[in-house]
Amino acid sequence: MIEILFFLIAPFVGGLIYGLERVVRARMQRRIGPPILQPFYDMFKLIQKEPFIVNQYHIIFGIFHFITLWIVVGMLIFGGNLLYVVFIHLFSTIFIILAGYSTKSIYSHIGSNRELLSILAYEPILILIASGFYLINGSFEISAIRESSHYLQTMPLLFLAMLLIVPIKLKKSPFDATEAHQEIVGGVEVEYSGVFFEFLYMAKWIEYIFIYMLVFLFAGDNIILGIVLCLIVFILVNLVDNATARVKINHLVKIALIIGLVLSVLNIFGIVYV
Amino acid sequence: MFKKFRKKSPWILHYNAGSCNGCDIEILACLSPKYDLERFGVINTGNPKQSDVFLVTGPVTYRSRSRIMELYSQIPEPKVVVAVGSCACTGGVFRGMYNVEDGVDRYIPVDVYIAGCASSPELIMDGIVKALEILETKGEKLEKN
Repeated sequence: MIEILFFLIAPFVGGLIYGLERVVRARMQRRIGPPILQPFYDMFKLIQKEPFIVNQYHIIFGIFHFITLWIVVGMLIFGGNLLYVVFIHLFSTIFIILAGYSTKSIYSHIGSNRELLSILAYEPILILIASGFYLINGSFEISAIRESSHYLQTMPLLFLAMLLIVPIKLKKSPFDATEAHQEIVGGVEVEYSGVFFEFLYMAKWIEYIFIYMLVFLFAGDNIILGIVLCLIVFILVNLVDNATARVKINHLVKIALIIGLVLSVLNIFGIVYV
Repeated sequence: MFKKFRKKSPWILHYNAGSCNGCDIEILACLSPKYDLERFGVINTGNPKQSDVFLVTGPVTYRSRSRIMELYSQIPEPKVVVAVGSCACTGGVFRGMYNVEDGVDRYIPVDVYIAGCASSPELIMDGIVKALEILETKGEKLEKN
């Protein structure tokens, strides 16, 4: 019952996390910052704005991106297969890339290209994290993963690699070249407006839930440890976001692959041979 | 039902129509920690399709007038236009020059004029808060039609 409830309110919990994040980031810069409910004010405003439709495919792909992401979060909540979760998440990212290519805007195209390159950077690490869980538990089932004790002893390097890809997925500095508001005006989301941009905005909130639930998996059956891990990741990501400048997209791929992939492969070898 | 939320999240689009950069620096100073416009929910989007408030600086040079109209038409309704600085209001010291169009309101309807060369951040914040009230009334009018 509580799972169904959490599944239904998942986007709104993500919105609260996003609002909290904006406040925390403002406080780090010694600003007052917007109210915590600011994302919801934005949502209500966007619903009332006049929508411009570029073409149908653009709109449909944007909505599908949101729906598939919600399904992914549902699978994480109800305890599906972790490998499926990773691949359906990839599927939802492919929707947004297709949406970016369906318009004639070059900013949209550049955003899609960068999104593809960022998939190249984080997807291998996500798959290796899933296989790390498999090697320890003998199963990709999330319910089985949640039943054993925490994974920080057995998968420390994979957790570090996870920390590296969290900013890529959440589009935070230094790895926000896919969105890059000052440079390519938001990348794939540039042509959306009104209620259709709202779907992308909410998809961003669900992405928060997805990432923090993946972080939560590392705690196993220890709920308190999971909350502490999520809090640490939350503070760390925002601190790094405030303190660093953006890296170029090719450097993003290089950094994520060289550091992240090496760390994860070392950890996998450690699980298999030690 | 959600009417009152409209003025709580104004996303601004900032365009420099041939300004000397003085007013642009003051606009960016508004977003900086000291004045912190973000506490009203303002985001500097840079994307006309997702913004509500159009901040224009500069006396509208010959080359920028088509762009200013294009940007204005790409902002979805309801929208407000704020002319920041003397140049954007009247042409300022550039008034009457051959390459300048004497203010933004020759081309697009302006709702709020902010004086000053350059406008101080306090004035700009005052103007934006005023623009939000106009935004609300405009939205109500739009719903009635």
